[in-house]
Amino acid sequence: MNVRRLARTTSFRLTVAYAIITGLSFLVLFAIVYWSAMAYMREQIDLTVKAEIREVRNGNTDGTLDGLRRSVERIAAQSPGYFYLLTDRSGKKLAGNLPALAPRIGVREWLEGERLESFADIDIRGCGTQDIDGAYLFVGTNAHQVDELRESVAHAFLWGTAIALLIVLIGGATASAAAMRRVEAISRTSRDIVNGDLRRRIPLSGTGDEFDHLATSINAMLDRIGVLMEGLRQVSTDIAHDLRTPLTRLRQRLELAQQRPPDIASLHATLAATVGDIDGILQTFGALLRIAQIESGVRKAHFRTLDLSELLRTVVEIHESAIEEKGQSLCDDIAPGLHVRGDRELLMQLFANLVENASRHCPAGARIAFVAAPIAHGVDVVVADDGPGIPADMREKVLHRFVRLDASRTTPGNGLGLALVQAIATLHDATLELDDNTPGLRVRVRLA
Amino acid sequence: MRILLIEDDAETAAYVAAGLTETGHTLTIARDGRDGLFQATGQDWDLLLVDRMLPGLDGMTLVRTLRAGGIETPVLFLTTLGGIDDRVNGLNAGADDYLVKPFAFSELAARVAALGRRPRRTAAETVLRLADLEMDLLARSVKRAGHAIDLQPREFRLLEFLLRHAGEVVTRTMLLEQVWDLHFDPHTNVVESHISRLRAKIDKGHAPGLIQTLRGAGYCLREGTP
Repeated sequence: MNVRRLARTTSFRLTVAYAIITGLSFLVLFAIVYWSAMAYMREQIDLTVKAEIREVRNGNTDGTLDGLRRSVERIAAQSPGYFYLLTDRSGKKLAGNLPALAPRIGVREWLEGERLESFADIDIRGCGTQDIDGAYLFVGTNAHQVDELRESVAHAFLWGTAIALLIVLIGGATASAAAMRRVEAISRTSRDIVNGDLRRRIPLSGTGDEFDHLATSINAMLDRIGVLMEGLRQVSTDIAHDLRTPLTRLRQRLELAQQRPPDIASLHATLAATVGDIDGILQTFGALLRIAQIESGVRKAHFRTLDLSELLRTVVEIHESAIEEKGQSLCDDIAPGLHVRGDRELLMQLFANLVENASRHCPAGARIAFVAAPIAHGVDVVVADDGPGIPADMREKVLHRFVRLDASRTTPGNGLGLALVQAIATLHDATLELDDNTPGLRVRVRLA
Repeated sequence: MRILLIEDDAETAAYVAAGLTETGHTLTIARDGRDGLFQATGQDWDLLLVDRMLPGLDGMTLVRTLRAGGIETPVLFLTTLGGIDDRVNGLNAGADDYLVKPFAFSELAARVAALGRRPRRTAAETVLRLADLEMDLLARSVKRAGHAIDLQPREFRLLEFLLRHAGEVVTRTMLLEQVWDLHFDPHTNVVESHISRLRAKIDKGHAPGLIQTLRGAGYCLREGTP
């Protein structure tokens, strides 16, 4: 694995940032610990020293300077680890084991680096006070704990920080490497796809992490692209296959007209028939493009909530007189106030196609039912007839382009009506079911 | 009418120009979007015929630019086969009407005539009249020679559209679009049956009738000549 690439990964950069933050927080933490421990330590020493001063004074039974000197000498002899000094008004040393010092009142200390000459390896901290006749009394103790504490805190800080940083960096590098491997897998798959292996998909780790989410989305996208490509290929094949027939017929008619003696009337008839054929071909083209556009899904941007009841009544209005003219009957039962989200124009075409289909494939006397009713979370629209119906094994197939029950293709229609219905239903996330109406066909569209 | 045709396909342009010149219009042709925009802004036209797909500057942008520049010349969009989004987008861009290619010439002629005579930004009328036929849009009532006629809502819309385009040829497709809001051909006799119902209501007992059928072209509402 490339170290320079690893160092450039987002997760590694994040790791470094975390390491810096960790170091800084350690520093703050240790500073607080250090200062409070030191303060506590000094406070303890000061309390001990003050207790010792009280003891020296209590030992001065007769209340004279000489009595104090004797008390100092006596106690100094008994208490190792303590340091005493008593000087008189002129600064002359009277008693104690410390050399004469400037008579400064209050806490004094001599730590490493600034120790007293005669106590070069001992830390001393103590307290000086004024006593009778202007005498100066100082009592100190060994303050080596202060230094030791300072050192151990510093060690703990250095080691702690070093170990923490090491853990963060190793952890970060491992995590980055793992992330990089996953990303690498994704880009490797992408390269394979670019190179033509369109069926490749990104492997999932199964942990459901963000990479799995990403991979799932990309795989879904690839599937969708695959479907669209397949659709495109299908359309090209269909066009090549299905437009050949009418074009051939057209060519034959024109050829025949060419061979016959010129006669204005028959030429006019040929031209009229030719224009009719070309219109049919253009219609087929238009329908194919329309289906392809609907399948591409761009139309979803136009979706809005619409009055389905009004739309369905318009569909009835458009078809009722044509159906009656064919000697069939249209029986509608459309619940009022139905609303769905969708594209008005496309939904109109969907239901118009279904009603038109029912009428076209049924003989005179047939009854066509058009029912719309609300269901839980949606609307159910049923177009049913009592005509010849569709055999069970063909019901799925008729939804595909150019599939027609009448293989000889003598009945009008281009075999795209139900394919368009299917495309519009899919765009609206609606389910489309074709069933036996015993007898006849029942088409159920379930809109959400 | 002085018409500017912005169309890059020479054959289509020649076909449209020849046909419209024959019906008494003056045609000028621009071959690409930039030239079209230049000519459209430079002179005063009665109508612009704009192809959706143009080299240089596409039709949608051209119309949007014109409208943004305050030029309100009526625009008829010529869109390509199957472009189901073109209509909505074209009308949003500021076009007044659209026609899907390939089209029948009679359809184009009717729409050109309708757009040319469309009054530009007049105050909304509330009463439409033709001969002794009177339609009150506010009261939603119709009278013929003083007698009230009862119309279904759809028949009312149909008659209103015919009255607004009185004297003009109105095609079946125009009626489907404007009266039924239907942008595909349902291949039924819905227009014919409504026209015949409307005719039975307003023309019964009046000869000749106001609603005339023009074979192969469409319908026309005008005072009849016996």
